[in-house]
Amino acid sequence: MSTKQQKKLHLIDTDIHEKVTYEDLMPYLEQPYKRYIEDCHWIQEKHMPFTQPAVAGVNRADAEVPDGRPAGSDLPFMQYQLLDDIGHEVGILTGALDPSPSSMHGWYEMATALARAYNDWQIEHWLEKDERLYGSVHIAAQEPHEAVKEIERVGSHEKMVQILLPIDDIMWGDPYYHPIFEAAEKHDLMIGMHHNEPPVYYGKWPRYFIEWHTLIPTAHMMIVTNMVFNGVFEKFPKLKMMMIEGGFTYVPFLMRKMDQQYRDLRHEVPWIQRMPSDIIREHICFTTQPLEEMSKKEFLQTFEQMGSDDMVSFSTDYPHWDYDNPYEALPNGLDEELMRKLLSENARNFYPKLPNRKEED
Amino acid sequence: MEEVVCSKEDLNPGEMMESTFGRHSIVVCRASDGHYYAFLNRCIHQGAPLSKGKICGAPEPTDTLGEYNFDREGDILRCPWHGREFDIRNEGRMLANEKFKIKNFNVMEKNEQVIVYK
Ligand code: FES
Repeated sequence: MSTKQQKKLHLIDTDIHEKVTYEDLMPYLEQPYKRYIEDCHWIQEKHMPFTQPAVAGVNRADAEVPDGRPAGSDLPFMQYQLLDDIGHEVGILTGALDPSPSSMHGWYEMATALARAYNDWQIEHWLEKDERLYGSVHIAAQEPHEAVKEIERVGSHEKMVQILLPIDDIMWGDPYYHPIFEAAEKHDLMIGMHHNEPPVYYGKWPRYFIEWHTLIPTAHMMIVTNMVFNGVFEKFPKLKMMMIEGGFTYVPFLMRKMDQQYRDLRHEVPWIQRMPSDIIREHICFTTQPLEEMSKKEFLQTFEQMGSDDMVSFSTDYPHWDYDNPYEALPNGLDEELMRKLLSENARNFYPKLPNRKEED
Repeated sequence: MEEVVCSKEDLNPGEMMESTFGRHSIVVCRASDGHYYAFLNRCIHQGAPLSKGKICGAPEPTDTLGEYNFDREGDILRCPWHGREFDIRNEGRMLANEKFKIKNFNVMEKNEQVIVYK
């Protein structure tokens, strides 16, 4: 929330959740899938065993739409509470958590149909209604050839900037995903990893939410390590990956560790011909949220250890409970150039389909 | 400086409302003891409006693993965003670390009115 004295920020927010309901998807779903929902009351299996963490479940308590609809489901309210208030230049939608086609563990035809419907709904109700909003292509990667068809169908939309992959049970460096990466490259789409379901904890849930939420970065570390050593970025040199909602403070450790391992064990992965940390710097970007509270010194040391301040970009995660306020979440006193990179320019350089910077008001 | 911020009948125990004190937005809470408490309506973490949070209770600290003793209904103010818990009857101190507190104001009850003063 901005206060009256605060200057509007030219923010490119790399994680905003628009909220869909099954009802919203109906006009976009084909038969027989529509019927399964309408007549048989099908809903996707749910995984998370926890009572919800914060005052209003997974959402900010003040983000519920005033008429009682769920947080994130109404564009005018999102404009009022977030986009206009903060002064967003761009918001990237990272959508679907429920239903979430990409995390279904069976009935992939349904997952594919849901992903199609979701993309159409997203384009019509969000991307084409607010020029600041950009989108993510949802796919059911469980059926790679169908996923590629969907990327071909909507990937060239001028406001689709990335593909969100599921993270469940096949590591992304596996050649299984190559057709998807090929289609991504073709349409200038980046790959986004948003935390969603495990693979933390042996693919299961820990006993407490606080454990799972603490360790989300470990799921991201697994995918980064796997993508790099499996040579995905060697095979697809234009491909980049945005790691969303895992934070970034683990990155210096991971870069050092991977470099050290590479010096010792290069013979096992001879297709890797440069230091893993260089591959990460060139191909991977990390969103900030959920930020730990850090002093300016601690914050800057993280960048120093990463050897770059070009690979981190700010995200709010609106309207979720662990939202980061762009006015408050970063340490005070960061210099203007770094702020500009974090708040907008790093994301702009990362996503080739984002517009050039507009002149400051 | 003193200012009427609401009337006593505006709140039942366990309720809160937004009001103003000078140029500050404040949240006035009525705790389970029936008394009124007032705080700056701005969370010390990332600035959320506390009046959009919830007045509730909290599981008491315990020495027994797996035990929940939910108590103090009406005395805890939880932030609408990250859910930090503040103790209304103990100067707005944070349950996870009492060194931190939300800003509290002096309150008196006079006739039917709730007054905040400096
Ligand atoms: S803003 Fe209140 S807990 Fe974070």
